[in-house]
Amino acid sequence: MAEKFTIPIGPQHPALKEPGHFEFMVDGEIITGASVRLGYVHRGIEKAAEGRNWTQDIYLLERICGICSHVHALAFCLGVEQLAGVSAPPRAQAIRVLIAELERIHSHFLWLGVAAHEAGFDTLFMYAWRDRETVMDALETFTGNRVNYSANLLGGVKCDVTPGIASQIYRAVDNLEERTRHYLNVITSDDSLAERTRGVGVMTPEQADQLGVMGPTARASGVMRDIRVVAPYAAYTDFPIQPVTETAGDLQARFIVRLSELFESYRLIRSILDHLPAGDLKTRMPRRVKAGETISRVEAPRGELFYFIRSNGTDMPDRVKVRTPTLCNLASVLTLVIGRQIADIPMILVGIDPCFSCNDRAVSLVDNKGERRWTWEALRQYGIDYYRRWR
Amino acid sequence: MTLLQMLIALLIFPGGLFVLVNGLAYQWARRKLIARLQNRIGPRWFQPLADTIKLMAKEQIIPDGVNALLFTGLPVLALTGALTAVLYLPIAGLPSSASFPGDLIVTLYLLSLLTICTSLVGLNSNDRFSVMGALRTLTQLFAYEAPFMLALLGPAVVARSWEISQIASSWNWLIVTQPIGFGIAMIGLMGKLELPPFDAPEAETEIVAGALTEYSGRGLALFHLARAVELVAGLTLIAAFYLGGLSNPLDYLLKTLLLLVALASIQTLLARLRITQTVGGWWRYGVLLMLAQWLVIMLGRTL
Repeated sequence: MAEKFTIPIGPQHPALKEPGHFEFMVDGEIITGASVRLGYVHRGIEKAAEGRNWTQDIYLLERICGICSHVHALAFCLGVEQLAGVSAPPRAQAIRVLIAELERIHSHFLWLGVAAHEAGFDTLFMYAWRDRETVMDALETFTGNRVNYSANLLGGVKCDVTPGIASQIYRAVDNLEERTRHYLNVITSDDSLAERTRGVGVMTPEQADQLGVMGPTARASGVMRDIRVVAPYAAYTDFPIQPVTETAGDLQARFIVRLSELFESYRLIRSILDHLPAGDLKTRMPRRVKAGETISRVEAPRGELFYFIRSNGTDMPDRVKVRTPTLCNLASVLTLVIGRQIADIPMILVGIDPCFSCNDRAVSLVDNKGERRWTWEALRQYGIDYYRRWR
Repeated sequence: MTLLQMLIALLIFPGGLFVLVNGLAYQWARRKLIARLQNRIGPRWFQPLADTIKLMAKEQIIPDGVNALLFTGLPVLALTGALTAVLYLPIAGLPSSASFPGDLIVTLYLLSLLTICTSLVGLNSNDRFSVMGALRTLTQLFAYEAPFMLALLGPAVVARSWEISQIASSWNWLIVTQPIGFGIAMIGLMGKLELPPFDAPEAETEIVAGALTEYSGRGLALFHLARAVELVAGLTLIAAFYLGGLSNPLDYLLKTLLLLVALASIQTLLARLRITQTVGGWWRYGVLLMLAQWLVIMLGRTL
């Protein structure tokens, strides 16, 4: 095939759980080029955050991601507490970490299911999602919600661990640990799955450095990037974590890293429940936050979550900037698919555990010839005129 | 055979109504089995029938720039091929309604008609996913077709006949003496029906629905029916050749359902193969194993 044949993936495509647009140039089944266009699910959350007060913003920012919602609230609360010069009590910090780790389990199980589905291995998909229900139930009992747990407050947490909840979490963790061991066995020993993952999308440590990938994607290439270890926050100083890395850098390594670090999560959850510090759940927080700016980084299930928060001394933030790990990892997909087959596209894409809605921060408006872009002023004027017409 | 008998054979049993109902029931059984194996609930018993009725009633959208005659005609041809093949098979364990020396070859080609129609509609559909799906369907056809045919010709050699009814009435349990042939026939049938792990031609996470992406309404329903009929035809053929023939309806039900359980189990156990892996696997292992089997059959016959 001499001329260029383009396979569009998205904005609506069964492989994508959220809208994004990829174009892959193919020669037969081999990919020769790739491009991405994002911004289909831009929701203007950063702008909306500037118009609400600090407390309201927790609810808003928690809804950036439907899977790892807790870490968003956590990053925001830690940042604002730092600005206000307040620190949450140790018990609250431990509970924050406890929920963050439960959420990581839920996120990784969800990912395992999605990845198995992309590989056409629906049995693993169904079983992984069945087992995910265990941790969802535990989270529901604990916080009252299956997603968007809403456990954080500025200066503390809302929910406490009672003996009943602790025993349910212990049971859930015991069950899940056994299942994780089984799945780890499946992904390393099942030949049909290994055929689809071993040696696919290999990323060397140098490439990982250059592309700036984060989280499990980087750790699968032997690059140790884990905020929980390099810059411990909340209770990770008291309950340290052993980072898990793999050196192979292929898809299988990404499977192994994600599943292996679950064992660390199980260990950490047990240890937090065993040695939960006594004391208050929250501390007093001023309504207005001192002027200043800060950076808050936490380890989301997908990698480093970065918050920049600036306050001008009022009860509303002056600026909140969120950078989710998907943005860092997405570029690696475009590099890794070159030279691979079409069948590997969904697998390599899912290997970074993409989350487009969390990632979309801007929209670029292009006409169907791909040329005209709106300037900020023109767009603003258009908005004003549009609403004036309907008033 | 009188005209009435011919009409009955064509429209009611075994050709038309019976095999369609049988096919839909087996599709349901397969889906239900897989669902239970995957820890799901699965569809209700009438789901495939309900889907068919719904699709039949819906509008068929013919995309711009396609040949409308081929677009509407090829699904009919696919179903016709599958239904015609059924006439030569001992459906429900009763003697086949038509036969002549050499009908095995004709049946095998009629069963391939579905695959060929699928790839033709894909190439006709003027859609990138359809074209990719069609190419994959054809590629896969070239991979499994030769070993699949060889696997079904093995019993013919043993029975010294090319006539399905004669081969079936030799009542040989060839699964014991030709296990390789049996395995390859089963896996070839899965390739023919594009069931996992050979569902690369319609891998939804890569190329949406493959060659049938642009199909809706009647055309899609006809393809689904053709596939259901082909499932029954394939299972009947394998049961008759390898599992000691089909002597009565109960025998038929037991043996074909047994094969269906095996099919569903394989389907549940494996992840999807890339198209290169499918082709590589068939030519590297499938064909060689089949040739080894043939060598044994030939040696057995001469000695």
